[in-house]
Amino acid sequence: MHILLIEPDRLLARSYQQALEQAGYSVATGPTAQVAIHAADTQRPDIVILEIQLVSHSGIEFLYEFRSYADWQHIPVIVLSQVPPAEFSDSWAILKDELGVAAYYYKPHTSLTQLLRAVNAVTETIKK
Amino acid sequence: MKQAGQNGQVTPALSEQLLLSIAEQLKLPFLQIARRAELASLEVNDPGALQDIQTTATTAIGLLDNYLFGARLALEDHYQLQMEPVSISSVLYDTGQQLDAMAKLYGVELELSLGGKFGPVMAHRAALQSALVSLGYSLIEALPSLQDKKLRLQLATHRCRYGIVAGMYSDVEQVTTEALRQGRKLQGHARQPLATLTHGSGAGVFVADAILQAMDSELKVTRHHRLYGLGTILRPNQQIQLV
Repeated sequence: MHILLIEPDRLLARSYQQALEQAGYSVATGPTAQVAIHAADTQRPDIVILEIQLVSHSGIEFLYEFRSYADWQHIPVIVLSQVPPAEFSDSWAILKDELGVAAYYYKPHTSLTQLLRAVNAVTETIKK
Repeated sequence: MKQAGQNGQVTPALSEQLLLSIAEQLKLPFLQIARRAELASLEVNDPGALQDIQTTATTAIGLLDNYLFGARLALEDHYQLQMEPVSISSVLYDTGQQLDAMAKLYGVELELSLGGKFGPVMAHRAALQSALVSLGYSLIEALPSLQDKKLRLQLATHRCRYGIVAGMYSDVEQVTTEALRQGRKLQGHARQPLATLTHGSGAGVFVADAILQAMDSELKVTRHHRLYGLGTILRPNQQIQLV
């Protein structure tokens, strides 16, 4: 299973990557939306883990771009963000229904174990 | 930017916004430490983890000191720092020393570029260093989130028509006067006031701004050779030069 991790902080990205690789996933990382689009093209991910708050182009802009390609419309996206979910409560329907976000996790309250559990759950859904 | 409080006292609104930025910014090192420590419990082979956690924690403690310094200056009305003749080269050298461990952790190469001999400048040494460390931390953290290639940050000084410029420079073109102007406006109101530069709250930039203002100076977008950066213009100490 290939994961594309879009995380702007290099140190956090390293921790998430190591935990996911230990669990058997192959992980590509990108700090910006632009790099992530290129990585998605070359790596062909099965799952995307996305931070909304990126430099220049936001994670939402990435999602609109990402979903505009037919090949990527059904790839599950897990949002792992430092933006509290309360700030997205009004637009959750758009994230879920329009942009296909499978789950939203608030980064400061999400341990590596919880993230792995979320990724495993999405993986199970893909296998079915 | 001031607001009248309930008892008629004047409250600096900017300092409240600065405190919000600082609180947001300080989440990051704690998050880094928490996740790195958790890796160990997952039995991930990570030989450098303890050292990295220590570096992150030590840097965070240093940052807290700098942020407190900046916040205190921003909260005080008409706070004035005592100026003294200061060697800008030694301030830049010490700033580099303070930032070095964190820069290595982020894969950022720190360089010191002291082009020419400059006499002393008028500044408050501790405040100037505090401003440069706060600014440096923000840029070190921001650079890898902007690009994926080898990263370089230059601590540099050069002469300009108004005095001696001291600042930090990289080849990132997003450091513009317009971005800084917008950032100052949005600080405390937006999660990401310097959206073209950093994914965080950019507190280090605004702390540096507050400290420099207390020295009757300001943070400016400047160029150093072909590099883009943020820095400040310092007044040369004319008296010493005459001697």
